[in-house]
Amino acid sequence: MVKEKSDSKNLNVNLKRLSEITEWFDSREEIDVEEGLEKVKEAVSLIKSSKERLKDIENEFEEIKKEVDSDKDEKQETLR
Amino acid sequence: MLNIGLKSSKAKIIGEVTEIKISSLGHVYFSLKDEKDGAVINCIIWKTRYNLYGIRLEAGMKILASGYPEIYAPLGKLSFIAETIELAGEGELKKQYDELKKKLTEEGIFAEERKRPIPKYPQNIGVITSRQGAVLADFLNNVGKFGFKIKMIDSRVEGQEAVGDLLSSIKTFKNKDIDVLVIIRGGGSFESLMPFNNEALIREVANFKVPVIAGVGHHKDEPLITFAADVSVSTPTAAANYLNQSWEEALLLLERYERGIIGSYQEIFENYKTIENKLKISLQNFKNAISGVKIELRNYLDKSFAGFKSILSTLSEKLVQSEKVILLNNPERQLKLGYSIAIAEGGVIRKINDVKIGQSFDLRVSNGRINSEVKKLKIFETTDAWISDIPQN
Repeated sequence: MVKEKSDSKNLNVNLKRLSEITEWFDSREEIDVEEGLEKVKEAVSLIKSSKERLKDIENEFEEIKKEVDSDKDEKQETLR
Repeated sequence: MLNIGLKSSKAKIIGEVTEIKISSLGHVYFSLKDEKDGAVINCIIWKTRYNLYGIRLEAGMKILASGYPEIYAPLGKLSFIAETIELAGEGELKKQYDELKKKLTEEGIFAEERKRPIPKYPQNIGVITSRQGAVLADFLNNVGKFGFKIKMIDSRVEGQEAVGDLLSSIKTFKNKDIDVLVIIRGGGSFESLMPFNNEALIREVANFKVPVIAGVGHHKDEPLITFAADVSVSTPTAAANYLNQSWEEALLLLERYERGIIGSYQEIFENYKTIENKLKISLQNFKNAISGVKIELRNYLDKSFAGFKSILSTLSEKLVQSEKVILLNNPERQLKLGYSIAIAEGGVIRKINDVKIGQSFDLRVSNGRINSEVKKLKIFETTDAWISDIPQN
């Protein structure tokens, strides 16, 4: 089942945003603490939701893999 | 009464023909003279008999007449009534044989194109022969067991008397349902086979309603009946074998067909086996192809899994990297560590030159801000000077 992707859980979008944030930090000579803090908060939230999404994807992938492997095992058993 | 008694006095007379006279009715009156003492006897042969034996009497001809004496009552004259006549002396016989052979040949009686084939698989066989002697036994012993229905008529086969029997037998068979007529007798001298040179008999044979097989034994001068018959063989055994021939061929054909059929079946079985083997091989190939496709699919799947996994781990790594970057740049972390940020009207104070003595500014710490004022300015020329200025607890 494909889970509905919310904006916050869309990995590609999240990663793009994270990349923008890290670039923002790298390019600043002078950091606006308030803004920096906001960026950090946003980045932490993005990282958290991305990790969750990644975990979900990994679980989903493992499920599919398991399904395929068990299907293969069954067929080999039949052939014997 | 006298004539009745005389009729039983059968006799044979050999003599030279003299004074021949043929009556208007066709009866032949002639005299026979004994060559030793010159005695003469008057003879009569009736028309039907005369024609039967095919001999044209001529003065000086030596013949053998068989018959009986009879007195012609009105004149009291004794005559010999000839029932049969035949030429006496081989020279005469041969001459008669040659003449008749020439005549019939010219007529086309012996022509090859007149010969009819013996029907295949004959069943109803008419046989003319004598019950006496071994001929019939030879024939019957050699004729095969092919369901022949044999009708036999007993006939004399030697001497001029045989001609009548043979003709009458043929006449009888004309009304019988037969496929082939077989006329057989054993071998013998030229004289003894003379009945089979009879013109009337030869014509009957040549014109008989079904094909005729003649099996008359002979040495050099073949009896003329053998030329007239549709098939001529030299012995009764050969005649029987001839009848067997088409049946035996049929048997051989049957055996060949049987072998052919068995051979065909074997071929079918062999073909079936070949097809079966081919089918097995095809099935195996098909199975192998399916396995190949499965393996290929599996490879694609494995590659997809590996590829996806690598994407996941790249993503994960990217997240970790981002996390590190964010943590490093998190101002809160710096403030918690004890660092503070001095902010004047012009922004973050990074250098001595950014402020003046007496200027107020905010000092941002981890949990709030401290309003401060610049009282003294001191420039550190080196990093060591900067470190040594940090108060020690």
